[in-house]
Amino acid sequence: MMKSATLRRANVRKFLPLGATVSLFILAFLAGVVAFTAMRDGQSFFNLFTTTPFLLILVVGEGLVIISGGIDLSVGGVVALTTVASAALLTDGWDPWLVIPLMLVMGLLFGAVMGLFITYLKVQPFIATLAGMWLARGLCYVISDSEIRIYDPLYKLLAGTRILIPGLADPATKKGDYITVLVVVAILVLAVGTFLAHYTQFGRTIYAMGGNNGANEQSARLMGLHVDRTKVQVYMISGFCSALAGIAYSIYVGSGHGTHATGMELTVIAAVVIGGMPLTGGEGYLVGGLFGVLITALIQSLIQFNGQLSSWWTSIVIGALMLVFIGVQSLLSTMNARQLTARRLGTTASGSPASGKRRAILRDRRFLIGAAVVVAVFVAAQAIGMQSGTNGPNGASASCQLKPNRQDRAAELMKGGAVIAYERNGGAGCVDELYAIYPDGRIVADNGTQTVEKKASPPEVDAMLASINDLGWFTDNMYSTSHTPCAQCFSYFTSVSYKGQEKTIQAVDGGTDAPAKYWLMTGKLSTLVPAFPAPQ
Amino acid sequence: MSAARSASRLDRMRGSRLFVPIFALAAILLLDLVFVPGFFKLEMKDGHLYGSLVDILRNSVPTVVLALGMTLVIATGGVDLSVGAVMAIAASVACILIDPRIVGVNLQGNITAVVGDPTYSFMPIPVVILVSLLAAIVCGLWNGLLVAFFRIQPMVATLILMIAGRGIAQLLTNSTKIIIFNDAFAYIGNGFIVLPFSLAIVAALFAGAWLLTRRTAIGLFVESVGISFRASLYTGINEKLIKLFVYAFCGFCAGIAGLIAVSSIRTSDANQIGLYTELDAILAVVIGGTVLGSGGRFSLLGSVLGALVIQATQTSMYAIGVPASAITAVKAVMVIVVIVLYSRQVQDAGVIISTRLGRRQTAA
Repeated sequence: MMKSATLRRANVRKFLPLGATVSLFILAFLAGVVAFTAMRDGQSFFNLFTTTPFLLILVVGEGLVIISGGIDLSVGGVVALTTVASAALLTDGWDPWLVIPLMLVMGLLFGAVMGLFITYLKVQPFIATLAGMWLARGLCYVISDSEIRIYDPLYKLLAGTRILIPGLADPATKKGDYITVLVVVAILVLAVGTFLAHYTQFGRTIYAMGGNNGANEQSARLMGLHVDRTKVQVYMISGFCSALAGIAYSIYVGSGHGTHATGMELTVIAAVVIGGMPLTGGEGYLVGGLFGVLITALIQSLIQFNGQLSSWWTSIVIGALMLVFIGVQSLLSTMNARQLTARRLGTTASGSPASGKRRAILRDRRFLIGAAVVVAVFVAAQAIGMQSGTNGPNGASASCQLKPNRQDRAAELMKGGAVIAYERNGGAGCVDELYAIYPDGRIVADNGTQTVEKKASPPEVDAMLASINDLGWFTDNMYSTSHTPCAQCFSYFTSVSYKGQEKTIQAVDGGTDAPAKYWLMTGKLSTLVPAFPAPQ
Repeated sequence: MSAARSASRLDRMRGSRLFVPIFALAAILLLDLVFVPGFFKLEMKDGHLYGSLVDILRNSVPTVVLALGMTLVIATGGVDLSVGAVMAIAASVACILIDPRIVGVNLQGNITAVVGDPTYSFMPIPVVILVSLLAAIVCGLWNGLLVAFFRIQPMVATLILMIAGRGIAQLLTNSTKIIIFNDAFAYIGNGFIVLPFSLAIVAALFAGAWLLTRRTAIGLFVESVGISFRASLYTGINEKLIKLFVYAFCGFCAGIAGLIAVSSIRTSDANQIGLYTELDAILAVVIGGTVLGSGGRFSLLGSVLGALVIQATQTSMYAIGVPASAITAVKAVMVIVVIVLYSRQVQDAGVIISTRLGRRQTAA
């Protein structure tokens, strides 16, 4: 009787970090639904998945590495390398069915080499995977300096295919809530990862290896487990997941470039930690990583829906969340250690049930304090956002100081009869291009130093407007995102006028901040508008 | 006889922790001597010394400064991932103290100075420097608090500030790039007294750190904590205070590096200042022979040499004509070479070879 109660308490404690993650996600989501009308649309929930499939895949690989007591910093680099290598091969006319397996093998080999360094040369995982990250990023630029766009039909198909949610969508009109193929792949990867972790010898070995500052590795070795082999395997799996995530990312953004996925390793590690897997290893559940990713995506979309907060708040909130989760975990482990000592000293029997309950209450209170801190940080963020809101969204002006944005000019063009006016500002070359499309098919482009004209047919313009409308341009699913662009990124301001409706949406690339459909739209527009002659 | 002596000298040299960085630096410079004509040419213009070697020294300054702080942290068995973010915070604090109007603060009173005035500063420059360094030290103390008192794994504890720090810097600067016009502040990174002024800062910092760790007991305490914090505790060393100190010192170094970096490019961009420098700094320390992860013995001079190796490689690659974007791949190769040089297998093989060599020579 007593024993089972102790066991149950131990079990509860084991699942507590995961439970905390899940409940935090649910609470934050409910708070968002209450605060923002746009969140009440079911798709806003599914968008948390559709904008992050690559993160989900990465979290599985990184989670396994972290459970085994290591760390993999190379994931972002391998993602970028995969996007560039696959884009280059596809542009050369390779078959995508050949390119995809090739990339996966590349990921496996990349992971294997790092694993061998770590296992047999006894290199710190941090250093070995750091070298891997630099090597992968450097190789990207050896392959191509500039962004390579992907026009492969299979990639387009995978990017565009929607899987409608039964019961929440109408199969006849194909409208309603959906997920993408990539999300299904990501969930499958998570399922396979969970199976590996809990139902195989490999999984038991990685749990045995991790934790206790590397001392457990020695114990695992003494138990006769294949520590060395497993270590190489775990980095191979992580490399494989990175390559798979790289393919997912290149499908998602439709291009390959060395700056893709910059800093993604940090996002992934943060998601793993928030998901209840401590970096010491040996503990946690991969499914927690799923919720870690969802929480980061949710924070990002809450900040977007707020509209006045810049996206750097995302990093502050994620940092604060990590602090709370690490705090809770270290408290739990201290308590575990204390209880273990107490049991060894034989004091558990004397005052067990009452003190246990009291301790549980105490633990709950500590957790509540942690949650309160997170909420407080978030509320403070909101409050500051309201105050600084008078300055307007930050993203527009910060990208390039060389040339100002010309939204006023775009508005004039719209008044002058243009049906689409869009400005593309920023990039490594700090360009400022303004395109205006008129209903008669005339397209005028101006980059401040020169003007280019092109004549399209009126039906082409009509078709473009109709397809933009079909993307949901005038619905709440398309919204402006305010975000400070990175050095190489572009910010877009697009105004569209169609059947008496007019709407302007701003977005910044270089991440997952904007709705995916926005990029479909800019992709379509870029095929229609004239190109500027290359500078001399 | 003399052959045996030379073999033992070789042994002693190889055994020294400075062997790898000195060897690497020499190898790179030799490469330059062969492949880059005029690499070693130095010129005097307007009382300034110019040349690739000066460039290497000058560009390595932020990494050297970070590596000094990082060495002590790594010697205690920790690591500080947040130094890049702390650089950005210090830089942002300095910029908004020099001209708060740039971030949209409306100063009451009648300030007549226009934006762009090279003599205008809202706060006196010494105050600006002190306050930004203070901010950096606070960041370091925060890391130290988490590591020493809350017993959080150093990599995790500092990861928090690494992720959140850039957000904080953006918050301070209202996510705008701030351009610095003040000439006195720009002197920190751009000034020359024959050699770049920033080298004088590095020299002073190195001398201070060396005196502190080698002429007081602190260095011994740091190594002791790194080898075993429990044993240190039992021998009466306040290991928590030592850890708090090294993280604060690392924050201080990051602050100095941030000020130098922002002053030399005259623009504070919270997204870019110090990006990925934590990795360079850790690499410099590792090349310098201080062991990441286990802590213990450290070498400040080794870390400085390590930072010079990194910068010399970069500068040489540019000189040879490797595109800037491919530099990360070169760095990766460098890390791999260092890994192999330091690996036990290679060191063991080295011992075996040199003993065999010695035996054969004594026999002869």
